[in-house]
Formats: sequence, C-alpha cells, structure tokens
Amino acid sequence: MTAVIDASDVTKRYGEVLGLNGFTASFEPGITGLIGPNGAGKSTFFRLVEGQLKLDSGQLSVLGNPTWGEGAFRRRIGYCPESSAMFDWMTGEEFVIALLRLDGFPKAEARDRAFRAISTVDLVSARERRLGTYSKGMRQRLKLAQSIAHDPELILLDEPLNGVDPLGRATLSALLRDLQSQGRHIIVSSHVLYEVERLTDQIVMIANGRALAQGDLHRIRDLIDAHPHVIDLDTPDPRALARILGTLDHVVSIEFPGPNQLRVRTRSPDAFYQALPDLVLQEHADVRGLRSLDDNLDAVFRYLSEGGR
Amino acid sequence: MPAEGDFARILVVASLSFRSAFRGMRTLGLVAFALVPSLLVLSLTTAHASPASMENAAQVLLGLLTLPIVVMVVVLVIAVAQFRNEIDSETLVYLTDRSVSRSTLVTGKYLGAWAASLVLVVPAALLPLGIAGAAGAALNPTVVPLVIVAATALASAVYVGFFLFLGLVSRSALMIGLVFGFIWEELLLLLPGSVPRLTVSYYVRCFLSGEVQTGPLSGFPTGVSVPVAVAVLLGLAAFFVIASVWALRNLETAPERVSA
Repeated sequence: MTAVIDASDVTKRYGEVLGLNGFTASFEPGITGLIGPNGAGKSTFFRLVEGQLKLDSGQLSVLGNPTWGEGAFRRRIGYCPESSAMFDWMTGEEFVIALLRLDGFPKAEARDRAFRAISTVDLVSARERRLGTYSKGMRQRLKLAQSIAHDPELILLDEPLNGVDPLGRATLSALLRDLQSQGRHIIVSSHVLYEVERLTDQIVMIANGRALAQGDLHRIRDLIDAHPHVIDLDTPDPRALARILGTLDHVVSIEFPGPNQLRVRTRSPDAFYQALPDLVLQEHADVRGLRSLDDNLDAVFRYLSEGGR
Repeated sequence: MPAEGDFARILVVASLSFRSAFRGMRTLGLVAFALVPSLLVLSLTTAHASPASMENAAQVLLGLLTLPIVVMVVVLVIAVAQFRNEIDSETLVYLTDRSVSRSTLVTGKYLGAWAASLVLVVPAALLPLGIAGAAGAALNPTVVPLVIVAATALASAVYVGFFLFLGLVSRSALMIGLVFGFIWEELLLLLPGSVPRLTVSYYVRCFLSGEVQTGPLSGFPTGVSVPVAVAVLLGLAAFFVIASVWALRNLETAPERVSA
C-alpha cells in the first residue's frame, strides 16, 4: 500500500527552536491520528505538508509530490488550521466561496459546493452571518467546511475538536468516517488520545519534534501499559508496606516522599491494583489512601521520548 | 469541470483586498485624514480669500501636502495591511494553501489595494481644487483634474507596490514606511544635484510640472520629461510587484506558537 505521506528524518528549525527534529513516519491511507502534547511539532508538521514551510533537512512527500511551493497539486489537499482567526468581515458563505474561487471553480459551482460543505457541517442557518459573530465551535466547523469543499484527496485537520461541544464532536466523527468511506485520507491532530481513539486506530505519536511511535492503537496501548505508572500510598508504616510491595516483580522502584507516604512505580498497574487488596489482607498492612499520579498522556510522552527508560 | 483562469482569480483576490481595506474604525480615520487638504482650502473661503489665492493654495497643498503626505500615509496604511495583517493573524494560510499562484495573489492584492487607495486619495486630491473652482477660481475644468488624477494614480501605484513589499518582508513595515515617507521622500528632495532623483516625489513633480502650465504646480523641477517620469514611476511599481512575488514565494508561514 502506498503511503499518503512519507516523512524521513524531517527537521525544521525556527532559529534556535527545533520545530521538528528528525521526524520519520509514514501515513497510510484512511484516517490517522497525530497525537502529541502542545508544542510537540504537530502544527509544524502540517505546515510542512501544506507547503507553508520549507524543510531544513530530510525528505517529505505528500501524495507522491514534494511539498514546498505553489501549484495545482495544492487542490488535492484540504487544510483546517488550528488557529481560529478568519476574515471576520466576511460571511461564512462568502468565505468558503472565495476560497473555492481561488481554486479555480467558476462562480456558480463555487456557490453550490460552498452550500454543500456548509450544510455538511450544519451551519446553513448561520451562513449569511459575519464570521466575527461566530463562536469558536462554529469557526471550527466552518474551517472544516472550507477544507472539504473542493473534494480534496487528503484532509489535514489540526486540532479540529478544540472548542467543539460533545454533539459537534459526534457529528465530526460521523463526517470523518463518511469522508473516509469516500476514499479520502484524513490526518487528525490532537493532544488528547481518547478524542482520536474514537475516530481511528491508526496513530502516530509525536513529542519534541520526533515520531515516538507509530502503528495501530493496540500497539500504542501496549507501549502505554509498559510505562511505569506512579502510585502514591498513604500509610502510617511506609517501611513495612515497602517490604510487602517489594515482593511484586512488576514493581520497579519504591520511594518515601513523606513520613507517612510511599511512592511505587509499577510496569503493570492492572496487576498492582489486583494484588494490593490481597496483600493488605494477608500481611495486615495499613493502607489509608491511594493515588495514581500519571494516568495522562504527558507522562506517557515523557516516558516514550526518554526511550522507555 | 473547467478551472477559471488567472484573471478571474486575480479579480477574486482584488475584491477581497478592496473590501478588507474598508473595515473598522481605520477607514474613518483615513477618510478624516484625506479630508485635511480640503478643509484647509475651505477655511480660506471663510477668510474671504480671493479665488486666485484659493487656486494657488489648492495647488500648493497638492504638491506639498496631498501627494507627498496624505497619499503616502493612506496608501501605507492600506497596502501594508494587505499581507502583514494576514501574516500576523494567520489568515494568509487560507490563501496560500489554495492552488493559486503566488503571482496571482500578489497581483490581486496589489490591484485591490491600489483601487481602495484611489477611492480615498483621488477625492483628497481633487476636492480642494473643486472648492477653489466653486469659489470662482479660473481652473481648466478638464486638463487640471485629469492631470491630478493621473499624478495621484501614478504616485499611488508606486507606493502600493513598495508598501505591499514592505508588509511581506518586515514586521515593522508601518514604521519603515513612515520613515521612508517623511525622511527619505521629504529630505532627499531638498538635497542638491541628482539626489532628489532617488525619490518617487521627484518624478511625480516632474510629471505635474510638465502637464500643468500655470500656477505653483508648473514650478516644480523639469529634470526629466513627462514620458520618462511616467516610465520611471510605472517601472518602479512593476519592480515592487515582482519583488513582492519573490518575497511571497519565499515566505514561510509558521504556526502561532513556533514550537508547536
């Protein structure tokens, strides 16, 4: 299967700041989630794919084309940027029509296409309102409309779920699946894994400008599960509890952050939570509280970016 | 589906640029500024000045205030905003990510900004003479207005090109534009020898003095002939359009958070 986007050792600098740092990934047909924390390099990657930025080094091909520069090839791509800035003095409909006309569509066809795209994102009733009066969610939907109105093969959606309410998210999910069924390739970026989990099981994880992991969600989940979870326990006798928990083979380390506290790192949080009640009962341990500190993506990104140490 | 040609796309961009030039309180400010020469001439009527004095004043104001300052400032504000505001607000990406060439975008922006500027600066240049004429000044009703419109259009054509280019290449385009207008254009004109030839105003003044036979406008330098002055002004405008195309082709639009 030919990759839609092939990135090999792509580096992009902004002066001293590294936007992408040897990013290597292959985006297959269908929907792919580009997951990473804020500042990871997602928008930089999209701008490179879009031809808005020049590569400093590496290779990047999109639908078999080099990316930088102008030309008819752009019409094969639809881009929904993260920024919510728009031409506030225009109406929603004028905005989409104008962009379609820049793509070379005659006036009548541009009108038809704009109306269809605006209908798709459920903004027909607001299409004659000025963009300055649109809410953030409405802007997100209109940005999406302009990115699909010209029927592109590849659609790049940069954080499209920001500011969209739950109903809007469900609508967007349905729309993206519909576009996928029409043979479109879609790349959706987000810093929230569960948002993208609902759309696709193809994931590329990015942090500090590098692709940390790529593949289906199950593989990524395995990596996440391998991440040593940190669990804090409150107990009046931390040393006694440490001796008990130290017998578990999945416990990586034990620390004493406070006089009545114990911090455990485990490679298998499920097994830990399963074993803890039995150990407490058998050994008469006194556990008065328990907290998991890093059930979040940032911790996983940090773990993966440090090479799984 | 037959794709529309570059001309239709240029018109779309020009129309967007034209409309964007007239939004917000900025437009009111520009209109008020453009009315300053007319208000000055109007004030002479209340002072019961003679029609000949009013015509003289109108011509002097055109040469010393309207063309070098009012036209320059109005064009600066309109033309710089065309690219600079869109780069800063990240809306330029909507245009550059379309299958439209950079030369089409620049040409469209140039024409839109030029048309928008003319809407403000042509009345600013003509109205003082109109007021003088209404007060009884013996103006040539056809030639003088046409010459003034042409001079205003030529000066605007160069300024739009230059400020469009500045907006593309510098975050401080407004400041640089003001320095250019008030220091370069004004001071170099006062220097001896061939130095004034380095200014736009010099060629505009040569054009005016070659076309207007009487009054203060006819007293400007005639160092170059009218055809040469026109050719230089149009050549400069074309040069800056080409430079702007080059700048846009090499422009990178980074995300708002550069590390993002």
